[in-house]
Amino acid sequence: MLQFFMSKTKPSGLIHYEILFIIPNKFTDDEAKDIFKKVGQLITSLEGKITLENYWGKKKFAYPIKHENYGYYGLFEFDLERTLISEINTKLRLDNNILRFLIIKKDVKNEEQIKKDQKIRAKIEDKKAKVQEEKEEKEKKIKKATKKITSKKDEDKKIDLKNLEEKLDDVLNIDNLL
Amino acid sequence: MKSKLNKKKECQFCSENTNPDYKDPKTLYNFVNYYMKIIGKKRTGVCSWHQRKLTTAIKRARKMALIGFTHK
Repeated sequence: MLQFFMSKTKPSGLIHYEILFIIPNKFTDDEAKDIFKKVGQLITSLEGKITLENYWGKKKFAYPIKHENYGYYGLFEFDLERTLISEINTKLRLDNNILRFLIIKKDVKNEEQIKKDQKIRAKIEDKKAKVQEEKEEKEKKIKKATKKITSKKDEDKKIDLKNLEEKLDDVLNIDNLL
Repeated sequence: MKSKLNKKKECQFCSENTNPDYKDPKTLYNFVNYYMKIIGKKRTGVCSWHQRKLTTAIKRARKMALIGFTHK
């Protein structure tokens, strides 16, 4: 057991990886797709299981790389033995058909975790819906209140005008003056 | 008067139950300055657990030319 802990070589096992790479712009779209397939063949030749493949196509860079503004992006997700990932690393680094690449480890979610996430997301959506309903109710109340105030003002004005006319008539009556 | 900095903001990733991903630069642009510098969590309100994931995501996106190192 002690040797196992002291040894620098890690125990073998499958790890979920993700790789994103850029193919230079000098190739056409069909040639770029062939290179994309070749990378997939490299992974399968080392007994890796590809779980996801995604060809993004031509995209603009945020900054020029080697005096070029465009490139083809490709994405793979695969399970591979942890000792074999260095082979992919060296082979892609020496390949002239690939501008840049990035290999990262990715966590795999269990079924329990996925169910938990779905529950949490459902709760969040319910909360958002409740907040929206409350907002709408508040707006309705404000609209009703403003309507009442405006309608009251109009009625007061009408009554005032009627009263004024009567009063004026009273005042203007000569009989009352005498 | 309380300043805007003292107010507690909710973490965007916690409230939406997502993790920062280096492949979608649209969300990453929200946490980056005009000069493409990473904004501190005090201003954006991201929790420290997600801020650590965010910095790695932004640096990976910069390497793959999805986000610039500097502004144009």
